[in-house]
Amino acid sequence: MSTMTATSPTALTATALPAGARLTLVVAALDDTVPGVRSLTLARPDGAVLPSYTPGSHVVVEIPAGEGRARRLANAYSLTGESVHPTTYAISVLRCDPESGAAGGSAWIHTLGLGDTLTVTAPRSAFAPVQLATRHLLVGAGIGITPLVSHLRSALRWGRDVQLLQVSREGYGAHVDEVRALGGDRVTVLGDRAALAAHLGPLLADQPIGTHLYTCGPTAFMDAVVATARDLGWPPSRVHLEHFGLDALDPGDPFTVAVDGGPTLAVPSGTSLLEALEEHGYDVPNLCRQGVCGECRLGVVPAASTGVHHRDLFLGDDARAAGDCAMACVSRALTDAATGRAHLEVSL
Amino acid sequence: MVSLSQTSLPTWAHTPQVEPVDPTGRVHTLVGVTGDGAEGDSPTGTAVREVVAGWQAASGSATLHVHLCADVAAGIAALEADLVSARVGHRVLVAGTADACLAVRAAAVRAGLADDELRFGVVAADVRTVWCVHCSATTAAAVGLDEDLTCSGCARTLVVYPHVSRRTGHHLGFMVDAEDQPWEVPA
Repeated sequence: MSTMTATSPTALTATALPAGARLTLVVAALDDTVPGVRSLTLARPDGAVLPSYTPGSHVVVEIPAGEGRARRLANAYSLTGESVHPTTYAISVLRCDPESGAAGGSAWIHTLGLGDTLTVTAPRSAFAPVQLATRHLLVGAGIGITPLVSHLRSALRWGRDVQLLQVSREGYGAHVDEVRALGGDRVTVLGDRAALAAHLGPLLADQPIGTHLYTCGPTAFMDAVVATARDLGWPPSRVHLEHFGLDALDPGDPFTVAVDGGPTLAVPSGTSLLEALEEHGYDVPNLCRQGVCGECRLGVVPAASTGVHHRDLFLGDDARAAGDCAMACVSRALTDAATGRAHLEVSL
Repeated sequence: MVSLSQTSLPTWAHTPQVEPVDPTGRVHTLVGVTGDGAEGDSPTGTAVREVVAGWQAASGSATLHVHLCADVAAGIAALEADLVSARVGHRVLVAGTADACLAVRAAAVRAGLADDELRFGVVAADVRTVWCVHCSATTAAAVGLDEDLTCSGCARTLVVYPHVSRRTGHHLGFMVDAEDQPWEVPA
């Protein structure tokens, strides 16, 4: 058919991306207006259309080893721009200081210049709007606004009832002007946690029954939002969280591991199971390396193991209780109280 | 037969049981479908009233809206009236026969309620409503899963498939010997 030849090759590219595919993008624009936060506009070198994505999606940016980074890092950043047939992806990156213990990925992104290339995964959705909701209530703090921007834009476009409550310090609010312009009186920006505490209870107590709640921000903030919702009778199915990742985990006790009946390997305190396996030449699929994405899930043989200390944010309660899987990046072995042994028998 | 836990049938839709009140709810709507007619209390009605009374006693300080209704239509009307002004934190508990509970659940699901906002107290589970895929008629009968019944709309013999529609509350029924009918590849 002649119309087939008229279809733009960019449209085909946008739909033909396989799962797990990587995109090589160039930095097309930089915005450092908000202190500590850099907003990047990324595009294909030829400017072609990028894959569309579900609101709340993120990409994982690959950060090379070197310059003080012991190994390659992979940081997840929410996409804040247009989600339908985008020609650019927009991310906003809060600089976390390596001198205060951060791994250095965000600091590296803050050194990039216009035209530099970086590799990202195709967009991944783990924080999608619920289509059956009759109302969407978005509650963010600080850089946690980023996944909520695309939620807000999509809800407004489709005429869905939406409200955004954002906590941002005056002058430090990334995307605050943008969401105010988008949402008008559907957007409330509060300056501090005390204002939030006064606001949140009455707000969550008075939401129509079809409402879903989406929250993103620092762990303590999200814990407070979830606790307030729970105390007001919100069922778990109506509360949706987007984690940045785990706060620093303790180094953990040493344990041993054997892969598919192979030799027993030591995992010292301070080394993750994933790092130990990689050092011994095992190829473990992984992305976030902080217990969020689920990519590095290993099978565990419960009978031959002393139990899994999960520590991840991915598994549900049932999967945890089964004890037959572990996230290599954060999970460790429990110590058997009787024998003092700590061991996992895993399969790749 | 497939394991029922792998189907869309809630456990209470084939084995009568009373789920407990969710203590996290702030407001509860209690709907009891008694099936009582003009001639007074039925055995079902007595059992339903007992379930509702048990829930009331177990509700602590939560606000309660209690509706004892003679039939499913009245139960759904009472529920929908409550939900107009309901806030998140509201729970719905439905007592009755399994077919009545499935029908009221369907109304609750259509109104946007989630599974973790719904609880059921089933006093009998022998009657099923079966929706015919061939003529769209619905037939109510005391019939077991994987058993046959005659469709009230088209008189086909239907097998009761272990699937319940969340949207309508009816079981799926299709012609028992559908696979054995003569057929041709369409030209």
